[in-house]
Amino acid sequence: MSDAAIQLQDVSKRFRLAHHPVATLKGAVASFWKRRFEDLWALKSLSLEVPRGQTLAVVGRNGSGKSTLLGLIGRIYLPTAGHIEIHGRVAALLELGAGFHPDLTGEQNVLLNGVILGMRERDVRKSLDDIIHFAELEKFRDAPLRSYSAGMTMRLGFAVAVFTDPQILLIDEVLAVGDQAFQAKCLREIQRFQESGRTIVFVSHDLDTVRRVSGRAIWLHEGALRADGDPEAVVKEYLSATA
Amino acid sequence: MLEDLRELWRYRDLVRSLVMRDLTVRYKNSVLGFFWSLANPLVQVATITIIYKYVLQIGIPNYSAYVLCAFLPWMFFQMSLSDAGESVARQYDLLRKVYFPREALAIASVFANLIHLLLAFGVFFVYLLWLGVSIQAGWLLLPVVILANLAFVMGLAFFVSALSVFYEDMTYLVGVSTSLFFYMCPVLYVTEQIRNKMIPQHWQPIIWEVYHWNPMAIFIEGYRQLLLPPFHAKNLNDLPIEPRYIVISVVLSVAVLIAGYAFFNAKKWQFAERP
Ligand SMILES: Nc1ncnc2c1ncn2[C@@H]1O[C@H](COP(=O)(O)OP(=O)(O)OP(=O)(O)O)[C@@H](O)[C@H]1O
Ligand SMILES: [Mg+2]
Repeated sequence: MSDAAIQLQDVSKRFRLAHHPVATLKGAVASFWKRRFEDLWALKSLSLEVPRGQTLAVVGRNGSGKSTLLGLIGRIYLPTAGHIEIHGRVAALLELGAGFHPDLTGEQNVLLNGVILGMRERDVRKSLDDIIHFAELEKFRDAPLRSYSAGMTMRLGFAVAVFTDPQILLIDEVLAVGDQAFQAKCLREIQRFQESGRTIVFVSHDLDTVRRVSGRAIWLHEGALRADGDPEAVVKEYLSATA
Repeated sequence: MLEDLRELWRYRDLVRSLVMRDLTVRYKNSVLGFFWSLANPLVQVATITIIYKYVLQIGIPNYSAYVLCAFLPWMFFQMSLSDAGESVARQYDLLRKVYFPREALAIASVFANLIHLLLAFGVFFVYLLWLGVSIQAGWLLLPVVILANLAFVMGLAFFVSALSVFYEDMTYLVGVSTSLFFYMCPVLYVTEQIRNKMIPQHWQPIIWEVYHWNPMAIFIEGYRQLLLPPFHAKNLNDLPIEPRYIVISVVLSVAVLIAGYAFFNAKKWQFAERP
């Protein structure tokens, strides 16, 4: 067995782009004989191996396939072609507070969010105090979520995600949550993740963060790999090409 | 399919938590909330009873019990399908962000309604005892009917919830079909009345046969015959359900369940990328 946490072999992903609404049964019947979709290849025959413990940054222009790549690793999509192998439990910080409900209290939401992310309920219960402490929301523990501010909600979501203790962490543009103090806390937490040998794949348009945090960077362009290697070099190449 | 079931089992806590969420949201975190949620069926049954008893003047003792006994499972059917239709479609953002077995959402919405049905039946038992209906051994068969009923509803719920993701007018379609389906189940009437003189002789056996291929009709009739004394109004002979109809309804329900689950599984990885 190799020491790769993530392996992609010739992975392609096709989406179908609808040009007129077919989201109704009526519409589907009415447009049955028309050509309904345009094929859109979000990833084209991508091969990638991420060793255990690496922090990989993904850069690229809007629509270049970054979120699609994370979605494939996080098993939200199945690849249209190719083969994906994942070793270890994946947690996606694609959305903080997945499945939060405004009528439930902070504590009830933590429990639900934890099991949505794949934890056993008793394990979430065990970490309940720590999660709420980490989010610094003790005072709001039994208040319904609708009385939270947007930043507080995200803090709670981040806290749950951290405590699910995954081996592979996927982060898509969510590092900029909360106020300064909490952002610093998030970055510290991500560092702790790196130090304990966990694998991280993150997407960011903030090239400073890419240079500071990652050990390797790839540049996706129109669904294909354009550059791969040292973050400094990849970022430089990316910048000179887009400038 | 086995692989899907195993994965679902790993996420069993998720199903339980989603059921708890549905019930806490529905009952607004209080016991009183449960009784509030019973208000709707009770008001409807009271209205039906008043109309039948005093306006149409059908003199049947404990008529309200016969209606309520059928109405509660009917509510289970109708609410499960409408909740299941929304269950996945409403969580669309979540599907695009997090991996989990998608069927958990549909299953949880049906289970929440099942628990509601059981609680409502609990209240119904108290009502029966108050009316003076005595406890019968047949009540022990109730779990069997409930299980078969659950299989039927769950199977349909899988179809409805998967299709609702792709077609926004499914909700409307399901709403219209269930309200028509209502009249094909013995809620406002009893099955014996299907054999009435208005229907031409030679049609009667066919209509009788077709009517009984509807599992929901059999289940509702089953609840009635198990829970209540025979219905001796209007000189109708009490007709026990023919065993073959029971077999047919159970077989159909299991088939619908398996087909529904297979359909859902075939579609579930396209949910997040619907065009
Ligand atoms: N569910 C979907 N259905 C159809 N097309 C999609 C879907 N998701 C993504 N796409 C298409 O796939 C391509 C890649 O999208 P993706 O979200 O991966 O881009 P991205 O690199 O994350 O962009 P951004 O920087 O804006 O987040 C885009 O052209 C987009 O339109
Ligand atoms: Mg993106």
